[in-house]
Amino acid sequence: MTSNSILIEARGIKRHYLRGSETVKAVDGIDLEIHAAEMVSILGPSGSGKTTLIHLLSCLDSPTEGSLSINGKPVAGLKEDELTKVRRGVLGFVFQKFYLLPTLSVAENVELPLLFYRQPVRREETMAVLRQVNLEDHARFMPNQLSGGQMQRVAIARALIIKPKILIADEPTGNLDTENGIAVFDLFRALVREQGISVIVTSHNLVFGYRADRIITLADGRIVREEKGPAAA
Amino acid sequence: MRFISLALKNLFRRPVRTALTIAGVALAVAVAVSLAGFNLGYQQAIERSIDRLGFQVMIMAKGCPYEAATMMLKGGTGLLYLPADTFAQVHSDPEILSITPIFIGIAEKQGSSIREDSSSAFAVLTGVEPKTFLEMKPWLEFQSGTGFDGGKWFSPDATDEVVMGYEAATYEQRKVGDKFLATVSPYGQAEPVSKEFKIVGVLKRTGTQDDGTVFLPIKTAQAFFNRPNQLTILGIKLKDFSGGNLQEFESRWIKLPEVQVVSLEQVKSTLVMLIGTAQVMIVAVTVIAILVAIIGVINTILMSVYERTGEIGVMKALGAFRGDVFQLIWIETLGVCLAGSIAGGVIALGGAHLTEKAIKAVIDIGIQGSIVTITWPVLLGAFAGAAVVGFFAGLYPAWRAASMLPVDAIREGIG
Ligand SMILES: Nc1ncnc2c1ncn2[C@@H]1O[C@H](COP(=O)(O)OP(=O)(O)O)[C@@H](O)[C@H]1O
Ligand SMILES: [Mg+2]
Repeated sequence: MTSNSILIEARGIKRHYLRGSETVKAVDGIDLEIHAAEMVSILGPSGSGKTTLIHLLSCLDSPTEGSLSINGKPVAGLKEDELTKVRRGVLGFVFQKFYLLPTLSVAENVELPLLFYRQPVRREETMAVLRQVNLEDHARFMPNQLSGGQMQRVAIARALIIKPKILIADEPTGNLDTENGIAVFDLFRALVREQGISVIVTSHNLVFGYRADRIITLADGRIVREEKGPAAA
Repeated sequence: MRFISLALKNLFRRPVRTALTIAGVALAVAVAVSLAGFNLGYQQAIERSIDRLGFQVMIMAKGCPYEAATMMLKGGTGLLYLPADTFAQVHSDPEILSITPIFIGIAEKQGSSIREDSSSAFAVLTGVEPKTFLEMKPWLEFQSGTGFDGGKWFSPDATDEVVMGYEAATYEQRKVGDKFLATVSPYGQAEPVSKEFKIVGVLKRTGTQDDGTVFLPIKTAQAFFNRPNQLTILGIKLKDFSGGNLQEFESRWIKLPEVQVVSLEQVKSTLVMLIGTAQVMIVAVTVIAILVAIIGVINTILMSVYERTGEIGVMKALGAFRGDVFQLIWIETLGVCLAGSIAGGVIALGGAHLTEKAIKAVIDIGIQGSIVTITWPVLLGAFAGAAVVGFFAGLYPAWRAASMLPVDAIREGIG
């Protein structure tokens, strides 16, 4: 792999919180590179710093120390809207709690990012991403008519509509059963294989977590293990 | 999809809360619109009512001129009389264009009455001299149609003929040729006296106090009430009705004992001022209603912002700028305010009649016709006002929402 295929590069990043008089070292010196078209899963027990790390990697949060560049751009010291600009078009997000807007249909939820991108809605494209998550026949449904697994797939389609280079998913299987969880991870792998998207996904569940190219295990804000997954070439 | 439709859909998530907030705004707008309508209307109404008295100057018994004026307008209580020879003294004044003597008395309530409301508990008997009275009120016309044809004024010395105003006739269910029985308590006599009159004409509706009046020849009225040498009012039109001229006229006749000269311009401004005082209260109520509505709007929108903390964080993660979130919340606020202002405008229009009744109940100055005039400019003004209020009320919640950091928002949302 060449260096220009590096999408995210983190060097010694730290994120410390002050909790009363105590300093919580949620992320405590991590070096990490995310390359194009790879699926990285970040494992670790609850409180090990997974969420904090991927919020840093996706510049939703800023490191207290260390350097970070996204798509070749250093992000240190950028303001919120500037960070948003860096994220736009590069990063897609999926969250544990789905966060579909209850007043919008499945298709409208998927199209929501286009509103913020000031891009026209093209229903064929909406249907195309819904097809990728196997929900094209649910376009007119409202979120409350869907199962948890279906809602998470709508959230994935919403992340895909802006054609991101990297998909970031924090505990996407946290609210799903094993079957739906496996389906989500298989979908991620297909996206990596077929569209060259990179996926960073956290999980505390090893059953899903190992279905990746690279598996990084955290404990106390540090990487304690890094291994190639069974899915790696 | 647009920001507007997204914002409006958000408002429907909590329909009851949104509806209550809109109702609060609607109430404030309704009060404000009614107040503005009243502001526009009452001055005109006062002027209209007083202009319809037909004369510019009154000579009446000494007393509070304001009371005297309202008495004239209401045709009601607290009558004071002046000596009848005042007419003889004044009527040759060279400045007078025309002059008419008027005698007003109150008859007791009729047994045949159908309605029991207090305003019709008595009948106003007004003694006039048809010829000069009509010089003041050339617009008086007789009702026509079955039962009303052939209406005419009584001859000045008829003793048993009356002409009825539109409402008086309707109220007593009388037509031309019918009998009218009046019972009065003559001055200085213990026992009431009844007398039967013949109705020789019924007047068309004028929208003034004349509608509720029963007219009879002035001499007959004076005799009936046993006040043969008394008058209630001298109504006067001057040849030149300008400030200086009026003052001269006034100073000429103010010397007479027992009488006062009252210009109706003066009465108008007194009444306008009187209502202006009452208005301070109404304005205070309006301001309170508006403040309560604004607080309600801010509170509702803030609550919905906090409820959607996680969602707002996610929108930011999905690519929304601060300005986008700001815009969204702001449109919601504006939406609530504009919906409220439309509802309030409709309420104010629909309730104008009730408002009118309420105002008249509080400050009854005997003005006839509508004193609340709700016009398009008033409604558009309320709409614009609501937009401005929404504009400012939305700033804080929108700013709060825009300032939520995506990480905190998402974490908080996960709880
Ligand atoms: N905003 C915060 N303030 C203080 N401590 C925090 C904050 N966010 C996370 N932490 C702490 O940082 C540590 C790592 O949290 P997190 O990244 O959520 O771990 P994980 O996602 O692996 O469960 C935890 O001890 C957590 O309590
Ligand atoms: Mg976590």
